[in-house]
Amino acid sequence: MLTTGMLCVVGSGLVAAQDLPAKNPLEGDPNAIRAGMGLFRGRCADCHGMDARGVRGPDITQVWASGRTDDGLFKTIKNGVPGTEMPANPRLSEYEEWQLLAYLRTLAASAPTDPPRGDARHGETIYRTNCAGCHRVNGVGGRLGPDLSRVGSARSRETMVKRIRGGIEALGAGFEPVTLTPQNGPPISGVKKNEDLFSVQIMDSRERIQGYEKDKMKSVENGKRSAMPAFPSNRLSDSDLDDLVRYLQTLRGFDPAVLP
Amino acid sequence: MRVTTLVRIVLLLCAGTAALAAQQAVPPPLVTSQEILDGLPADGSRWLTFGGNYTNQRHSPLTQITPANVNRLVPQWTFQTGTLGNFETTSLLRDNVLYVTGPQNVAWALDARTGRQIWRYRRELPPGLTACCGLVNRGFGMHGDKLFMVTLDAHLLALDMKTGSVVWDVTLLDYLGGYASTIAPIVVKDKVIASVAGGEFGIRGFIDAYDAKTGKRAWRFYTIPGPGEPGNKTWANDSWKIGGAGVWVTGAYDPELNLLYYGTGNPGPDYHSESREGDNLYSTSLVALNADTGQLRWHYQFTPHDVHDWDSTEVPILADIPIAGQQRKVVMFANRNGFYYTLDRVTGKVIVAKPFVQTTWAKEVDRDGRPILLPGHTPDEKGTVTCPDITGGTNFWPPTYDPATRTFFVNAREACMTFYAWKPEYKAGERFTGGAGQRVPSSESPVYGALRAIDPATGDRKWEFRYLSPSTAGLLTTASGLIFSGDNDGNLLALDSRSGKLLWRYQMGATMHGTSPITYMLDGRQHVLVPAGTTLTAWALPQ
Repeated sequence: MLTTGMLCVVGSGLVAAQDLPAKNPLEGDPNAIRAGMGLFRGRCADCHGMDARGVRGPDITQVWASGRTDDGLFKTIKNGVPGTEMPANPRLSEYEEWQLLAYLRTLAASAPTDPPRGDARHGETIYRTNCAGCHRVNGVGGRLGPDLSRVGSARSRETMVKRIRGGIEALGAGFEPVTLTPQNGPPISGVKKNEDLFSVQIMDSRERIQGYEKDKMKSVENGKRSAMPAFPSNRLSDSDLDDLVRYLQTLRGFDPAVLP
Repeated sequence: MRVTTLVRIVLLLCAGTAALAAQQAVPPPLVTSQEILDGLPADGSRWLTFGGNYTNQRHSPLTQITPANVNRLVPQWTFQTGTLGNFETTSLLRDNVLYVTGPQNVAWALDARTGRQIWRYRRELPPGLTACCGLVNRGFGMHGDKLFMVTLDAHLLALDMKTGSVVWDVTLLDYLGGYASTIAPIVVKDKVIASVAGGEFGIRGFIDAYDAKTGKRAWRFYTIPGPGEPGNKTWANDSWKIGGAGVWVTGAYDPELNLLYYGTGNPGPDYHSESREGDNLYSTSLVALNADTGQLRWHYQFTPHDVHDWDSTEVPILADIPIAGQQRKVVMFANRNGFYYTLDRVTGKVIVAKPFVQTTWAKEVDRDGRPILLPGHTPDEKGTVTCPDITGGTNFWPPTYDPATRTFFVNAREACMTFYAWKPEYKAGERFTGGAGQRVPSSESPVYGALRAIDPATGDRKWEFRYLSPSTAGLLTTASGLIFSGDNDGNLLALDSRSGKLLWRYQMGATMHGTSPITYMLDGRQHVLVPAGTTLTAWALPQ
């Protein structure tokens, strides 16, 4: 009985998946777009940004241009992305999901028409010399900055260029710079992982994770500038930047659309 | 011979029972209306109703734990719910037994000495629940030999205090129509007061009274008047039918005036102004109802035609205080809209109305009690920035009042939001809000919280204790000059209620979101009981 029941459940799940239209049935529907805007702003914009160009979560304006499909994105919203902050949304109805995607489609960037610029192999060398001390890709590299294994699908070229050139000053949660000065001994600098009124938990510049009680410190100072240094053109030429970004664009992690 | 033996056995059994009875204390009589009316007794032996007493002051007369020794508190036991979701409850205590409601329609009777379960009640959750904001419950009411609890599927239950079994079960209204219930009922005389939530689902809100013994409905007060009734015309067209105004936070009761005071929820759809032109009575109001009949004595609408989801479902507190040389019967109310109010509770007239957080939508409240609006705060598709945010200057977490120092305490929030609105379509039982809110980045407008002490005679701030981020914890004060609170990072805090100085803290691992500690005496020792997340911990001084 139990086995049959389980088979039925699995079976019906498969049927439901096959029933999912490949293309959004509500695309272009003005009412759906408006309702989808509400859903997006209420549920998604905190992580993806009001313009959907990414804050903590990825830039979603790029997803169609990078080859994702309506039904694949539908599954990503429904099931979330394991191992990331993107949650599953089991309470969102199928209709609401299509409304959401109908709205997102209106924000989507068109596929780039410019031929891709830069040499990814040379970019990787630049990356290893300049970035890998703090960033990690597929399990290799530093941990002080955000993991970049998926950055190619999460951020547009434009955003990456701005970030590297120092044009973005936003401090991502978990990466805010902080300097603690103990009663005795030299200051400890790192990025803030957590904090309450009485304590602060950091990763220091040597990647030691450690908590400190504030009343045992002479001072706790939040940095105003990102721990990520800027790379102006005298430090990284335009052509090296093209190469680096080209390499970063190849970093696409895993494709959640192929997950069950 | 056989008969003699039987007689002997019977005699022995009777003697045994008598001996057993002689060893036991006489069980306390049933919970009386007088006992509830008396509120928190000096001996600390009970906590029988949501706010400690009908005034909702949450101010305990107990003085064993003091500002000088509070740093010696040690945990006595911790109880774990074993459920998903968190406490939002105020526990009740009688005869050394705690009665506690939890999330997911679960409730317990616990031995207050050990935290061990005596019974557990669980109601299966039906499919299609519409509770907007968590599968929570805010506590029991108590009377006679019964406990009263509302359910997420909009029922009111009477449970047997000794066993947790259901004595009666009434439907408030069909939950599939968007109705839910999370409020802690109170019992006034022989009636249980309960009400419904669902302001985001196009309901028509009401407050009910039921006979505590039988569950028979005594009266119903609709928070939105029907056709022909005063106030119905404050809703354009048929918008009154689905105008929301749920009631999900417990009110107060004045036995002398025989009036109930309940705050009402937001009008719906929450954000779309044109869907319901007019003041939208009695949404976002305080209503004063005759406790015997449910008839409206007066109302005061804090936010006429609210478009920011500012339910007035905060906890009202009653007190008698001197203002400008006159003793006044007042009701104190810190509102989600950012204003603190002291109202005359006989007439409903405003005595004090003053912002207690940054408030950008209204300049002030005029002499007639109406807010003077500032332009540019009606949400639209492009978005309008307003302070406070949707969650508000405060919300449903209980404030307290210390009558000795005449101080009102509230956990306040400083936050702004971009509000959007668009025309929604109504479908029975589905979300019906017509808009959304988006946080203003903290780089533009820092979000923080503070415990604030307010003078109810003026609305002025006496002191504040700042948190890193807004706290959603309920409060408890004691006659020894302590205030218990919690921050948004899981710290349980004890402060000096006269100065706001922090005296003691403990990291609970979860916030006290919407819960309040209670305090009582047990075997000669004062206990403080703190719900946080899925745990309930009892604290006392070392023996």
